Amino acid sequence: MSTRSGFEKHFPEALNEFAFVTVFDLMIQYIKEGRIKLDRTRFAGVKATYHDPCNYGRKSQRLFGHAYYEEPRWIMDQCLDNWVEMYPTRENQLCCGGGGGTPPTGYHEERFHYSRWKAESIKATGADMLVVPCHSCHGQFNAMKKKFDMPGLQVKYLWELVADCLVV
Amino acid sequence: MKEAQKIIDLNQADPQKFRSWNFLQDFCITCGLCASSCPASGIDGFDPRKVVRMVSLGLEQELVDSKFPWICTMCGKCEEVCPMQINIPDLVRSIRGLRDRDKVPGTLHKGLQAALKTGNNLGLPKDDFIFILEDVGEEIAEEPGFEGFKVPIDKKGANVLTTVHNKLVNTQNEDLKHWWKIFYAAGEDWTIPSDNWEGTNWGYFTGDDEAMKTMTGRILENMRRLEVKTLLWPE
Repeated sequence: MSTRSGFEKHFPEALNEFAFVTVFDLMIQYIKEGRIKLDRTRFAGVKATYHDPCNYGRKSQRLFGHAYYEEPRWIMDQCLDNWVEMYPTRENQLCCGGGGGTPPTGYHEERFHYSRWKAESIKATGADMLVVPCHSCHGQFNAMKKKFDMPGLQVKYLWELVADCLVV
Repeated sequence: MKEAQKIIDLNQADPQKFRSWNFLQDFCITCGLCASSCPASGIDGFDPRKVVRMVSLGLEQELVDSKFPWICTMCGKCEEVCPMQINIPDLVRSIRGLRDRDKVPGTLHKGLQAALKTGNNLGLPKDDFIFILEDVGEEIAEEPGFEGFKVPIDKKGANVLTTVHNKLVNTQNEDLKHWWKIFYAAGEDWTIPSDNWEGTNWGYFTGDDEAMKTMTGRILENMRRLEVKTLLWPE
């Protein structure tokens, strides 16, 4: 998101010179064009849930006029038979606590205090797998597992889920 | 985490101080929705409403000295619920930008300095970067279905240029594999630059617009140098 807003702010001319694609749109393109095939039984028996990152939701809506809520959910549907929404989601979602560059600040206690509501949201789903499309969220959730007693939770990138389901 | 809450000295107020900031901060109706929605409310005795009011009052020193703007993740929940649509995340980012650079907490500014100097937050030398990529690429090539896989570094005329989040060439090399496998399966013509490959842009976090511009400009340079058609926005 920082790169995209950097381009829009400082190098708008490049937006006409090149094509740009989000992780969601590229994966969707590959799936819809039949360039990749996915096996939806790969995680049979696993209950998954999805986390909306702030940057692809509220922040993208404000900066780029579009929030990526439906795209990742469509991709989840192509990979999984059994996944559930957590509460709250989309524009009402709670940040994981690892956004805004907070992990390298050293304020760890504060960062986990921040994420206490999110931990409850995740636990309430009863999910074994938490899918995220953001590096910061991924790191924060892995760190939260120990802090909030969620040792069995598997934290997975959205593109990792797709790669795991590839039929090659 | 708990600090004695200081009484705000209104004699220090300078309502002209942040007049040039255009975040609608003076339209705050003090309803408190932001404060109730924010998971960081209470930390350091702060909450979003207090920050907005203090900006209106021009209480610069207290804001700059507080760690609250660095614990706030700029997630935008407060802005979402604000009936006056005050842009609190960018307001917080601007407060971050007022800190002396050597007082930016943790490794944020150090990582950014390394990135400006070397092209990546880790200061990872080019040879080491290439070694890691090729090593991980060889592991993929050993997996069934991915025979012959090679990492296309600096491939001119490729369709898609990707960047790399520094943690993937630090401790989490395994996570390089996911996108690479997808590209391979999709038959994508893609590439990774050997210089200025950093996908993060910590100037965004420290409130440093010049650094953000430099890092973004380097990605654009790579796109032109390698004559690629498309940039995959960093994840």
